Amino acid sequence: MSYLIMEGISKYFPRNQVQANRNVNLVVKKNEIHAIIGENGAGKSTLMKILYGLVRPDKGRIILNGKEVSIHSPMDANRLGIGMVHQHFRLIREFTVAENVVLGMEPKKNCLFFNRDKSVRDVRSVIEKYGFNINSESRVSDLTVGQMQQVEIVKMLYREADLLILDEPTSVLTEQEISRFFDNIRELKNRGKTFIIITHKLDEVKKISDRVTVMRGGEVVAVKETENVDQKELTKLMVGKSVLFKLKKYPASPGAVVLELKNVSLKLKRQEQPLLDNINLKVRAGEIVGVAGVGGNGLGELENVVSGLFKASEGEILFRGENIAGISASKFREKELGYVPADRLNRGSCLDSTVRENMIITKHHDFLKAGVFSQKKISVFVDNLSKSYSITGDTSAPIGTLSGGNIQKVILARELATGAELIIFAEPTWGLDVASSEFVYENILKLKRNGIAVLLISSNLDEIMNLADRIVVMYRGRITGRFLNDRSISKALIGEYMMGIRNDFN
Amino acid sequence: MKLIVKRKINPENLFVNIFSLSVTMGIAFLIVIVLILFLSKDPVKTIRYFFIGPFLNRYYFGNMLNSVIPLIFTGLGIAIAFKASTFNLGGEGQVYSGALAATAVCLALPNANGFIGGGLAIIAAIGVGAVLAGLSGLFKMKWGTDELISSFLISGAVILIVNYFITGPLDDPANNLLATREIAKQYQFMQIFPPSKLDISIYFAVLTAFLVFFFMFYTHQGYEMRMCGLNREFSRYGGIKVKFYLVLPMVLSGSFQGLAGAVSVMGTYHMSVKGFSFGMGWNGIAVALIARNNPLAVIPAAIFFAYIEAGANAAMIHSDVTFEIAAIVESIIYFLITAQVLKDFIRYRKRRPE
Repeated sequence: MSYLIMEGISKYFPRNQVQANRNVNLVVKKNEIHAIIGENGAGKSTLMKILYGLVRPDKGRIILNGKEVSIHSPMDANRLGIGMVHQHFRLIREFTVAENVVLGMEPKKNCLFFNRDKSVRDVRSVIEKYGFNINSESRVSDLTVGQMQQVEIVKMLYREADLLILDEPTSVLTEQEISRFFDNIRELKNRGKTFIIITHKLDEVKKISDRVTVMRGGEVVAVKETENVDQKELTKLMVGKSVLFKLKKYPASPGAVVLELKNVSLKLKRQEQPLLDNINLKVRAGEIVGVAGVGGNGLGELENVVSGLFKASEGEILFRGENIAGISASKFREKELGYVPADRLNRGSCLDSTVRENMIITKHHDFLKAGVFSQKKISVFVDNLSKSYSITGDTSAPIGTLSGGNIQKVILARELATGAELIIFAEPTWGLDVASSEFVYENILKLKRNGIAVLLISSNLDEIMNLADRIVVMYRGRITGRFLNDRSISKALIGEYMMGIRNDFN
Repeated sequence: MKLIVKRKINPENLFVNIFSLSVTMGIAFLIVIVLILFLSKDPVKTIRYFFIGPFLNRYYFGNMLNSVIPLIFTGLGIAIAFKASTFNLGGEGQVYSGALAATAVCLALPNANGFIGGGLAIIAAIGVGAVLAGLSGLFKMKWGTDELISSFLISGAVILIVNYFITGPLDDPANNLLATREIAKQYQFMQIFPPSKLDISIYFAVLTAFLVFFFMFYTHQGYEMRMCGLNREFSRYGGIKVKFYLVLPMVLSGSFQGLAGAVSVMGTYHMSVKGFSFGMGWNGIAVALIARNNPLAVIPAAIFFAYIEAGANAAMIHSDVTFEIAAIVESIIYFLITAQVLKDFIRYRKRRPE
């Protein structure tokens, strides 16, 4: 009865020092809709990438229809009837629907030429057979996001996929598009297809899936029949028990408002669902405000807007009372605000240049003497930072040769050295080991003690609960709950707001 | 706290670079020797002239060094652009129009002071090159037009315009060449190694390489430019005006191309001849690639390049090698070396976090 068995799958990423999968077992039955849920970094995506041949596992085997298979590439996966729809669509916008669908397996005319008519016919018949509402001859750039997703699914059906992997399929869709999408999925199920859906939206798990596998920290923690569990139980399974750090918390004595967001929204062209919807937020001096949420619910967008790298479509961002929403990224940087980004390997550091050059980027103007760098000043600064943040390693070597923890220390050291009044942290411990994480936490608490305003954006709920004085929860780009972080709130409660089960404002 | 520091082999490591480059050169020379064995009736003589021809007398040696001069300038120009991850493929047109601009200024001021008129001529050449390449940078900034394509296309059009001026309004009817009149004596650079054409600007070229090195690694703009070249996202995050560094490297790059044109005219040719600078722009790219965009390495790379060319010329004059065979031999060497360098260059570019 088992259609797909993944057995003992393990995968370690040495670059980030992350054990993404640890001895994972997954069983999917024929003709079921199987949901895989988990927080960010739980290992869902890695598991699916292994199944689709994008990542090679260190250990484990895959059994499909009773036969052990080895999948080295997406082409292998397609041959075996496995198709995947990625969260970010892989479509060529200038091509028509039909051209996108047949790309790579084009019907030929005289064994040589592209048979346009046949491709249009074939694609149209797939679309009609499964009841999608797209025209095989329209250009992809003219479609809505929901329709683009249909194209992706049709692409897999055209390749005669029987097992479809959908990675966060609803994250970019509006409510109407989601219900339409679910109709499509049910229809396909009736016609014998099997689905694996990666998601962290529990209401959707309840609505659509037959069974659900819960992952946490790279391991499978539970497999349930969907009808036998409720959303609260799933939430508990997903977030797990609190890990308490030995942190000395200091009572907050908040001062003046340093950062204020007023009705901030972010909307992309051609996407009806806003990424940020009317966000209001205040951060005072000497307090830590934690923004919690599951990935894909606007945390990354909030980070980009608050740090000035993206412009908000609407609303005001007040820094010490001055609206800085419209100014350029370089002007933003001249303000007294530090920023430790979530993407620390590409945005937060330049892996190919030296530790030294990475350390001076934010305030590099300060090291100039008549337009020329004073190497002496730089050396003093770099040595100081290395010592006080115990960064080991050669500062004249490329920063890419350091470990993940040391890279984060360099970024932290650099941003704290700016003498900022506000520091934005985004996923500050993602992928770090325990020792490095504690180091980051101690520094965040020290900032608060020194009267600096801290905005902590993180999908790691433990982190938020351990550090923040106030907690703001986001779901689908909106704020769903605001809390004072005292003993009265539980992780499970916050989890329910994160999953959209509870909402105080709608 | 336990911290693990991993060490990787640094692909920028000078020793590794030189070693792998030498191996490739060795293979290239080996192929050249085999080819000559087949193609020449007197292979020993041909090989001798090919390898030691440039050192046989003052004339050959000086001329070899003379051809290093424009190569250093064009190589530096390309290295600056590449270091910032902007691509200037318009060197040909920029050198050629720089040469024309310098010639035109010199011809327009036949009686001016050598320093003033010469200075103006050089400034004009730099300006023309800077504008031509800068346009591509500007288009990239404004509309995201690929500067690699636009610089190439602009250059292609400009070459035809320069041809028109050389063979039309500025043509010297007293001369059978398709060329302008000769520039006045006071504008011609002092020759320092007679009877060869080597002139004083070689000192200037070497000095410029050091200045560019200093600019890249010690100044504020140099730092910002290199950071933008390595990682634009990081640079934007760090508060650098990323868009400005789409234009500045192109402007600088074009300036050096124009300058190469000016020194060719004022140092060697003393006039603009139709198509005389053909290949200088492309050779600059090869020089920059061999030098891995390091301004100081541009000097030996340019010398190597000039040496191969001089060797092929010597073999052609003194042995039975035809122009075509010499060209084939030259291109095999360039092909192998640029292929190896490009391979590393691309691998280096692709080395991005997962």
